[in-house]
Amino acid sequence: MKADKLIFERSSRGARAATIRRPDVPTYTLKCAVRQELDFPEIPEVTLVRHYTALSREAFGVDNGFYPLGSCTMKYNPKLDEEIAALSGFTDIHPLAPEKSVQGALEVIYSLGEALKEITGMDAVTLQPAAGAHGEYTGLSIINAYHKGRGDFARKKIIVPDSAHGTNPASAAMAGFEVINIPSDRDKGVDLDALRAAAGADTAALMLTNPTTLGLFEKNIEEIAEIVHSAGGLLYYDGANLNAVMGIVRPGDMGFDVVHLNLHKTFSTPHGGGGPGSGPVGCKAALEKYLPDPRVVRKDDGKYAFAYSEDSIGKVSSFYGNFLVYLKAYAYILTLGAEGIRRSAEGAVLNANYLKSNISDLYSTEEGRCCMHEFVASVEKLKEETGVTAMDIAKAMIDRGMHPPTMYFPAIVHEALMFEPTETEDKATLDEAIAVLREIYAEAKETPETLKKAPHSAPISRPDEILAARSQKLRWKKQ
Amino acid sequence: MSDYIPVTDRERADMLVSIGVSNVSELFKDVPEKLKVKSLGLPGGLSQQEVAEKLAGIASTNRVYRSCMRGAGAYRHYIPSVVKAMVSRSEFVTAYTPYQAEMSQGILRAMYEYQTYIALLTGMDVSNASLYNGATAAAEAALMTCERNRIKVIASGNVRPDTLKVMKTYLSAKGMELVVLPDLNGVTDLGALRSALGEDSASVYVEQPNYYGLIEDLSAIGSEAHAKGAKFIVGCNPIALGLLAAPAECGADIAVGEGQPLGMSLAFGGPYLGFLACKDKDVRKIPGRIVGETVDRDMRKAYVLTLQPREQHIKRERASSNICSNEALCALTAAVYMGAMGKEGMREVASACVSYAHYAAKKFTEAGLKLRYDGEFFHEFVTVSPGKADAILDALDKRDILGGLKLDDDAILWCFTELNSKDEIDEAAELIGGAI
Repeated sequence: MKADKLIFERSSRGARAATIRRPDVPTYTLKCAVRQELDFPEIPEVTLVRHYTALSREAFGVDNGFYPLGSCTMKYNPKLDEEIAALSGFTDIHPLAPEKSVQGALEVIYSLGEALKEITGMDAVTLQPAAGAHGEYTGLSIINAYHKGRGDFARKKIIVPDSAHGTNPASAAMAGFEVINIPSDRDKGVDLDALRAAAGADTAALMLTNPTTLGLFEKNIEEIAEIVHSAGGLLYYDGANLNAVMGIVRPGDMGFDVVHLNLHKTFSTPHGGGGPGSGPVGCKAALEKYLPDPRVVRKDDGKYAFAYSEDSIGKVSSFYGNFLVYLKAYAYILTLGAEGIRRSAEGAVLNANYLKSNISDLYSTEEGRCCMHEFVASVEKLKEETGVTAMDIAKAMIDRGMHPPTMYFPAIVHEALMFEPTETEDKATLDEAIAVLREIYAEAKETPETLKKAPHSAPISRPDEILAARSQKLRWKKQ
Repeated sequence: MSDYIPVTDRERADMLVSIGVSNVSELFKDVPEKLKVKSLGLPGGLSQQEVAEKLAGIASTNRVYRSCMRGAGAYRHYIPSVVKAMVSRSEFVTAYTPYQAEMSQGILRAMYEYQTYIALLTGMDVSNASLYNGATAAAEAALMTCERNRIKVIASGNVRPDTLKVMKTYLSAKGMELVVLPDLNGVTDLGALRSALGEDSASVYVEQPNYYGLIEDLSAIGSEAHAKGAKFIVGCNPIALGLLAAPAECGADIAVGEGQPLGMSLAFGGPYLGFLACKDKDVRKIPGRIVGETVDRDMRKAYVLTLQPREQHIKRERASSNICSNEALCALTAAVYMGAMGKEGMREVASACVSYAHYAAKKFTEAGLKLRYDGEFFHEFVTVSPGKADAILDALDKRDILGGLKLDDDAILWCFTELNSKDEIDEAAELIGGAI
């Protein structure tokens, strides 16, 4: 079957797939207002299966090939962890079941929290946030509660570097803060003078990604921490890039007070076409009592229980967050162990530097420094010479069976392509990527007009995004 | 020990030469030496077999009850095999957000179909591509309705407690207020609502069915809200919408809900699925991803992420929400479930839920329990039996039945779905009779 129709266009009156047991009690008819008709499609099961199988063939995941999408850490998702998360003992337990009946689930929450504390150098952890941005929101709300708890109501500003992920300022705004953007210095790190000028009695925190979104370790981290702390502010760690440094340097030791992690990045849980993720938040002891309710504690008798805090910011999610997702991360951490975690960071940095050093004669990258787990290449010069843009290069990669890197981010680099190969790629794949990127570069020089039309082999050519926004066709409607 | 790193020692040596460094630690020379951690205080890695065994062991210490009569926000339903078979295809599982439309048409199309299903189910014009869960969906919807002079969101006291808590967290951060009304005989008190509504009211939030399982008179509540210029947000159980009037028909401006009953397992609370749908006029206030239809350069139909200027990566601190990663795979699950059930199946599931719940209510009252409310209910209801809640639940627990949720020493909130049976309910009624 071709993926040429929507499921609604495959409906056939009277057809059906799933069936349920006929109730063995009298049918009860509601007396209130009921709906006349639910206009759902009627699909035979074989058609449903072919439809979604066809759709899956027009999707591309880590299992399909190289996926160096910068800042997203598209590493391999272990099959073992999927199988564990499908065990009935995990999938078939009710979130409001008695504590004594879910000791295993509570053990997972507790033990993963302990492991993440050790990895981040924090004193306490919540697993409730459902994604990275949700973790940012939670962490910033904790910071807000901390300042207010000290009777300091003046700290209304969050400082964010211009290279930060867009979620940083958006989360700060949602948590009720004003955002102060500061520029990067010549080394693409935090401009210390700008930071000194911005930090003051109204500073709640500085949000920082380290390594930065340029894939560079922020060398001045100690001085940055000193500036923010002496102004009475806190340091927030955006853990999106932790994969570069886990087991090597810990946010807590760098001076960070609050950290969120993206388990779907660093700890290998699958990205699911956009989610679900999991964004645990860790904090230092002084902020622990503000973490979302409930938390899991281990009692003296070895049993696990939920615990609540009067000072908690409340809840940020139903129940306890994305349990099956963080369960997979727990399995991954058990598999890697202390050494495996460190080796993964080293492997991620090795692979990124290998890729970078083999294309940097053509694609301009930061010179004179090793990158961390990712690097940003600029094709600004190529664009001036040939008209070929970062977008064109990306689309040409699609024709060669690879997912493109992140495009046009961070905005402080023009015509940016951000590559993050991850440690789970072998040398042969990296060599192939190098060959492909060199070949595309040559093509850009020789026949730029061919690249402008890429991709040539995908199910569609470039879509008209302006038309999409203008026409606002956001759902199927019966003709 | 297994670390999923495929680069061999020999290859690593070659790669280091190619980079121009002598060892891996040279790559980390930007990291201040004194900050580096000696070694993590974690155990050594385990083999895959050991991890499988260890976690199977932990899983086995969780108790999967023979029978479940508990809901309260997490619902056990039959999940057709076709759902897991399709959703577990690794092209879907291991992809990320479809930023590159040309190689993600399958995911984009599936999301477009999901948006259509949610629009059809709720009667609304447009849906987003998912939020984290029902509670954050309600909170995001509440934020959508706030304007400069309208900063109060009024919620009925019979809204699910988790949802109220999350709404409170989100609203208070933005300097807005959540006003929680007392209920009247289990349903929204229209009189109290009328007095609470004012010029500063942004919206009214109720759930259908509500926390106690009762069916609210949505049209009446919506009229009150609209009379004062407030928006009307309805949080709905999607299974109930197989039978109940669509929120849009009852005047809702925004419909949200917990999508977990649409093919997701209980999973100790997550991952679940927040859905949000609204009218066309509010489309630019919607949080999160939205997929739209367009054409490619060859005029073929194509799907893309659209209306992105609402989102954090473009608008930063002025975005409609901070959400980036969502619950795409759960949205896909819901879409396959709704397709598998189809028009008739959705109605049958809802009808089975209602029928088992009413049979149970009848048997339980015959056994000596009283219904706390007399209103029409869907698949949940509250019983009272002074001081006997623990005794009842213990008696059921001993026979491997997870009874309803204890609300206080007297009251229990029960839930029944198509997975229950007459025999189970009869058995439970007998146990209850013996316990009180």
